[in-house]
Amino acid sequence: MPLSDVAVTLREVSRRYGHRPVLQDVSLDIGFGEVVLLMGKNGAGKTTLLRLIAGLARPNSGSIERFGSVGMVAHHSMLYDALTASQNLAFFARLHGLPSGRVVHAALERVGLAAVHDQAIATFSRGMLQRLAIARALLPEPEILLLDEPLSGLDDTGTTLVTDMLKALRDRGCAVVIASHQITELLPLGTRVGYLVRGRLETPEVLTNKTPAEVLDRYRAAVARER
Amino acid sequence: MSASTFVRASLAVAAKDLAIEWKTKTAFVSSMVFAVLVLAVLYFARDPTSVATIDVAPGALWVTFTFAAMVGLNRAFLLERENRAMDGLLLTPAPPTAIFVGKVLGNLVFVGVVELASVPLFILFYDLPIGAQLPELLLVMVMATVAFVAVGTLLSAMVVRTRFSEMMLPVLLLPFLVPPVVGAVQLTARILLDRPLSELAGWLKLLAAFDLVFLTLSILLFEATLEE
Repeated sequence: MPLSDVAVTLREVSRRYGHRPVLQDVSLDIGFGEVVLLMGKNGAGKTTLLRLIAGLARPNSGSIERFGSVGMVAHHSMLYDALTASQNLAFFARLHGLPSGRVVHAALERVGLAAVHDQAIATFSRGMLQRLAIARALLPEPEILLLDEPLSGLDDTGTTLVTDMLKALRDRGCAVVIASHQITELLPLGTRVGYLVRGRLETPEVLTNKTPAEVLDRYRAAVARER
Repeated sequence: MSASTFVRASLAVAAKDLAIEWKTKTAFVSSMVFAVLVLAVLYFARDPTSVATIDVAPGALWVTFTFAAMVGLNRAFLLERENRAMDGLLLTPAPPTAIFVGKVLGNLVFVGVVELASVPLFILFYDLPIGAQLPELLLVMVMATVAFVAVGTLLSAMVVRTRFSEMMLPVLLLPFLVPPVVGAVQLTARILLDRPLSELAGWLKLLAAFDLVFLTLSILLFEATLEE
């Protein structure tokens, strides 16, 4: 991959919590316009890997370089329950140095929440919170987008809306990393898939004409090899 | 990042914290209930025939302020723990120092409001004619509050990830509060006795030194509290 196309570079990244190793010697290049899917069981290190790429945690060894601004959608919404949807987005827009009014309205329209802009998000369903979290992450139009289970809690309409948005981001040249178990819905978006097993990442393989069943078989084989 | 962007980020964080408090009023109500209780208990515990008001009032005032403020300080970073909002802040271009300064500003306003709302109760309970001394008393309140809000905000950030953060904060914070609170009590006593300014100067300088040291150290150390 030419250097100018690289959005994120990880070199032999390891991370442990206490004495427990969570990630071991992970090396990966992610290019602009790529969607890398990360598969792995609970506790395999997917969330830790995304947090390291985002810069929210530091590796114990190895290096990570980012060549663009980062947005992230995680398990938690990173929003304030007492504030309304508009107030939450306006606050983050201000921190990004964006003019809050128009940008916030456009972001809420984009995720289908404009009608409930003045409701406190404490009243939102899991799916609505997830949409708002995605709107927050996309406010500054990041060049690198990290998503941890982005379809969690979403209904069919929400799933279609988010997958369409991710497709548009990929086509725009955004580097996207998605950790998810919902491989069937996300596979058509992906350019590569990586299997994370016990903190080790198998070199992600290119997804060309692969069916979900084939990807799952490869994943199971990777798990079996690590045993 | 330019100075104006830094200030904008700090003000946004402070305004957000205050907007949340305005909506929920949880910390304010708790602090005020606490302030009324402390003032009432200390008032009724005193035997007015053997202890003069002026001997008790300064200590009562600052015990009230200190513990009432602690309720608000505790909440400062608990807000960011809910839904891991702190991660959201750290993903923005706002530098951690600007976030901390915003938190300190928000806490200063909160604690200031609690203190101002407690002063009339203090005057009522202790029947002190402090109209003429009010500007000097306000100066002491501002100076002491800056010191304990700075260190309180830092410690709030430190303990927020611990399991018993609400219990840990007072344990860690109280030793740091002793110097500024002692200074504030000494100054308040002298102000209430209408002593000359020359008698206040030494303690005022000491409070100013605490402000400078606590603010500087808190700003320098805040980033270390964010490490996982």
